[in-house]
Amino acid sequence: MSVYLEGVLALMGINILMALSVYAILTTDQLSLGNAGFMAIGAYTSAYLTVKSGMPLLPAILVGALASSIIGLLIGIPALRLKGIYLVMATLGFGEVVRTFFMNFEPTGGAYGFRGPSGATLPLIYGWVLLSIFFFWLLTRSRLGRSLDAVRDDPEVASTVGLHVTLLKIGVFGFGAFIAGVAGALYAHYMFYIESNNFNFLVSAMAVLFVILGGMQTFWGAVVGAIIFSILPEALRFMKDWRLSLYGAVLVSMMIFRPSGILTRETVRDLGEWFGGMFRMTRS
Amino acid sequence: MLGSTYSLIAMGYTLVLGVLQMLNIAHGDVFMFGAFLGLTLAFLGMPLYWSLILAMLGAGIVSILIERFCFRPLRKAHFLGPLLSTIAFGILLQNVATQIWGSEPSRYPQTTEISQFQLGPILISSIHIIILATSLLLMIVIDQFVKRTRMGRAMRATSENQTNASLLGVDIFRVFTFTFFASGALAGVAGVLTALVYLQITPFIGIRQGLIGMVAMVIGGLGNLRGAMIGGIMLGVLEVMNDAYLTAGYRDMIIFGLFFLFLMFKPEGLFGATNRES
Repeated sequence: MSVYLEGVLALMGINILMALSVYAILTTDQLSLGNAGFMAIGAYTSAYLTVKSGMPLLPAILVGALASSIIGLLIGIPALRLKGIYLVMATLGFGEVVRTFFMNFEPTGGAYGFRGPSGATLPLIYGWVLLSIFFFWLLTRSRLGRSLDAVRDDPEVASTVGLHVTLLKIGVFGFGAFIAGVAGALYAHYMFYIESNNFNFLVSAMAVLFVILGGMQTFWGAVVGAIIFSILPEALRFMKDWRLSLYGAVLVSMMIFRPSGILTRETVRDLGEWFGGMFRMTRS
Repeated sequence: MLGSTYSLIAMGYTLVLGVLQMLNIAHGDVFMFGAFLGLTLAFLGMPLYWSLILAMLGAGIVSILIERFCFRPLRKAHFLGPLLSTIAFGILLQNVATQIWGSEPSRYPQTTEISQFQLGPILISSIHIIILATSLLLMIVIDQFVKRTRMGRAMRATSENQTNASLLGVDIFRVFTFTFFASGALAGVAGVLTALVYLQITPFIGIRQGLIGMVAMVIGGLGNLRGAMIGGIMLGVLEVMNDAYLTAGYRDMIIFGLFFLFLMFKPEGLFGATNRES
């Protein structure tokens, strides 16, 4: 596999994780535009642990993700009071606070960035991707997944039927932050070098765009969105210098022509039946 | 002095937010576009006031395009639709600007004589006077416009309730177009004025300036024009104080920290009404 292809695939895996982290929080109708902040916490914590205290990679990823998750829970509590664009702006502010914090935080290199983490490979990244997809797949079939759906559709009805809405809403923040933390840790150890600007506003925004354009009704939408819109800039290389402009134009027109995203629940169901049908045919 | 350009940006956000209850994230990039237009015009040898006016027009038109592509087709969609669409439009604008003007910082040519004079213990340059005067003038114009004219009244009616306004004979699409034009024009002026001070601009300056404008709006109180003006000026003062007494590196951390705390604990801002719904 060429280095170029490997790099594209690795970033695609990390993008899938970031999209899933946004999706996790969105399951209760809360939008976070600050997931790059969680990513940064995971990245810097794990990188510090592996480089400065020689911790092995896997536990370092877990500790980084847990640290990010704790911050996520702490953000989730005041976020309960905010709705709509207020929450969007608050999470955006959070992301910028984290970024500027690491820009000034000397133990992890400050503005010079942090050099040295290594060891993440393509199989490791996709191991985490598959693990998360499997988890979300389990979630959609579980009681917990149904509860989250109920909270998204109507929090008041959900609470009258006995669901702990507050706990669920805070919980998904912690969970989303955990996945973003893993993504950050993998990113740091794949790139060998991180600086605070790797976790800027655009990273958070792209993660949300993956989910919305892929389809925000199912987690497959997040996965598909991340895959397509990670490949698209590479596929547009024939456009030379204009490719990123075209990329922006494609995103804008996608929103106009398919505002509910590429995959909706109906398409997933239809595709499922189609696949099922194929297998039945081969069996008979 | 920079505070007053933040005020102009914040007022642009506020106009759109007031009328449509939506956030235009590409606003910062309209600002950047205005700055580059001003730069090009200055290179062509235009005097400052002409480049200000033309940059206003140009940025206003870009802003109308944003309304056409990101807001109008998505009026019935979830509120996230237009929000994300403007992010995508911002990416588009940044890259188009990179193609036209290059990603290297461009220097602003010296078109106006800079004279400096002493006022008591303070050294003032004429650029600062121009910035302050232009921004104050525009703030008053916009404020009075929204308060007193027919279009201003239509804007306020649309912001209260779009259906009612259109039933009462307000052409709400004209209101949207006009609102976006005004918002973009303010950002364009802010762009040219900021470029005068910074002397060099890149296609990516819009991101930070846009965010700071948003902070100013939140601190002043959402949907409150005068709040946005005061918020911007307060941020400008805060920046200068920070640079004087702390290291410049902490500047953004403090600003965004404040932003976050305000949203979490006082989302109505300093001068806003209590309304936490979107």
